[in-house]
Amino acid sequence: MKNIVWLVSYPKSGNTWFRMFLSNYLKNTAEPVSLEEIESTPIASNAVDFEEVIGLNPFELTAEEVDFYRPNMYRILSQKVEMEGETSYKKTHDAYTLNAKDEPLFPEEITRGAVYFVRNPLDVCVSFANHSTKEIQNTFTLLLNEKASLAGNKSGQLRQMLMSWKSHVQSWREQTLIPIHMVRYEDMLQSPIATFGSVITFLGLEYDKARLEKAIINSDFKLLQQMEQKNGFNEKMQKCKNFFWKGTIGTYREYLSEEQVKRIVDYNYDAMKEFGYIDEQGMLTV
Amino acid sequence: MCKGFYWQIWFPLEESFAQSYNFHSYHQTYNMMTDFPIVMKGIEFSPDEFEPLPNPRLSFPHLQVDERDFIMNINHVASFRVRDGNHVCIHPHENADSASIQLFLNGSILGAVLHQQRILPFHGCAFEYNGKGILICGHSGTGKSSITAAFCQNGGRFINDDITPVRIKGQGTNIIPIKTKIKLWDDTLLKLKIENENFEKIRPTINKFYLPARESSSAELHLYHLIILGKHNKDGFEGNKLNGMVKYNALRNQIYRKMYLKGMPETEKTYFKQLFKLASTVRVTQILRPDICDIYETMNCIKKEIDR
Repeated sequence: MKNIVWLVSYPKSGNTWFRMFLSNYLKNTAEPVSLEEIESTPIASNAVDFEEVIGLNPFELTAEEVDFYRPNMYRILSQKVEMEGETSYKKTHDAYTLNAKDEPLFPEEITRGAVYFVRNPLDVCVSFANHSTKEIQNTFTLLLNEKASLAGNKSGQLRQMLMSWKSHVQSWREQTLIPIHMVRYEDMLQSPIATFGSVITFLGLEYDKARLEKAIINSDFKLLQQMEQKNGFNEKMQKCKNFFWKGTIGTYREYLSEEQVKRIVDYNYDAMKEFGYIDEQGMLTV
Repeated sequence: MCKGFYWQIWFPLEESFAQSYNFHSYHQTYNMMTDFPIVMKGIEFSPDEFEPLPNPRLSFPHLQVDERDFIMNINHVASFRVRDGNHVCIHPHENADSASIQLFLNGSILGAVLHQQRILPFHGCAFEYNGKGILICGHSGTGKSSITAAFCQNGGRFINDDITPVRIKGQGTNIIPIKTKIKLWDDTLLKLKIENENFEKIRPTINKFYLPARESSSAELHLYHLIILGKHNKDGFEGNKLNGMVKYNALRNQIYRKMYLKGMPETEKTYFKQLFKLASTVRVTQILRPDICDIYETMNCIKKEIDR
């Protein structure tokens, strides 16, 4: 049963914002849904879910061993979703990879599709540093590291292979088993009706313009910031001030050195050009 | 039945369950000493992979569960079969190391044995503090073992790590000591200022170690207070005494390997009654600690709740 949609992104690329939009669209209430709504649908790499579904403590397995079980974890999740007659929308930061048995972590036979959120890596670098309360140099290094990964230590989430920014995008774009819809963060900000609407169409949901407009208003970035200020948000790191930070385009200009910009651009040039972050003349568009 | 060598070690007991000693048996073919925290009729090894169970109630590619039969396959370690709460059969995989087999035997497999014996196992660490039986439950990675170790440095007496069976009889609810060994990460040893004197690793690839127990309690002890430990992203601690159905549901969520019960509906029914009794007799407090915080600070917060 193809009943899981993967909401995929490098960290801080609009994934959570989109989940709030989708939640509003599906609920279709006059009032905005609260952040609690998406707190109850954890990330695909949630370690508690792993232990409860697989019956093994993931922190007593190596990351590679955990990856053996992840396809089955999602198959079991799909069975549960099938009983409930619904579709599950699961956030993930994993690159599209195979485990040591050459099996994709995200099985095709249970997947309805994937929405990939892509954001200018220069802004990702800055926003991710704020989120993880690390020096920008750390996230800068991460974005260029083909072996970059998240979590998977002694607690928290399962290990997620990120790879470099360009390889993460490529891994999903080049796989052929799962239908994928690419969405630019910048388009979500600048052309919300067309962009969010395209995802609704891709997901096969009923397209209703009034509902779409309401869901966009009810998941406005500033509104999410206010909700977080008021009630907190459990996806924020403890030492980070705000999960919903600036949300703007081109923030990197305030934080990255010329050398850092040059290195990120050089390393990710082709992918950045493909997604319009570099123009035909080789200049940054933002 | 398992094929291959079979060592049957029988301990005549009034009840077929835990005593204050461990079950040791040596398996010559595999040159392995298994150490199981509760008494069993037999732990045997099989050179052959197990045949799948016929029509199990719960069936996943790595796991099959029925009321009295259970098979779990752990990649590159072993397949385990548990029957009637009294027989464990192990089929080690090629090149598997004995530490890994031992670890899972004393974890997920022990959980299956306890469920088959219908002894309610909680996902938690137990210790005695000021004569009171304390059980700290919570998901893996919340710090149960670290805090238990900290208590044991400060007057507590260690009982169980990670899995704690509770006996509910009449109005009494007792922690059953099964003498699992406390497991601590390398950085936790440092934080607790415990010198790693060549402690045994739980697995060759994992930097977590068995802490040799200095003193541990071997008699059943009344369960006085059950703490459900969780983490949040705030800077302070939050404590919340649970009551009513919230308390019952929270207790149910602390059952070790609760998912096995999907294949064991009769066992689940017996737990239903036991949990209600437990909920009516035991104090239950949910404590949320900051994701990043000091182990002793958490210990002090729990102390306050116990003394309250």
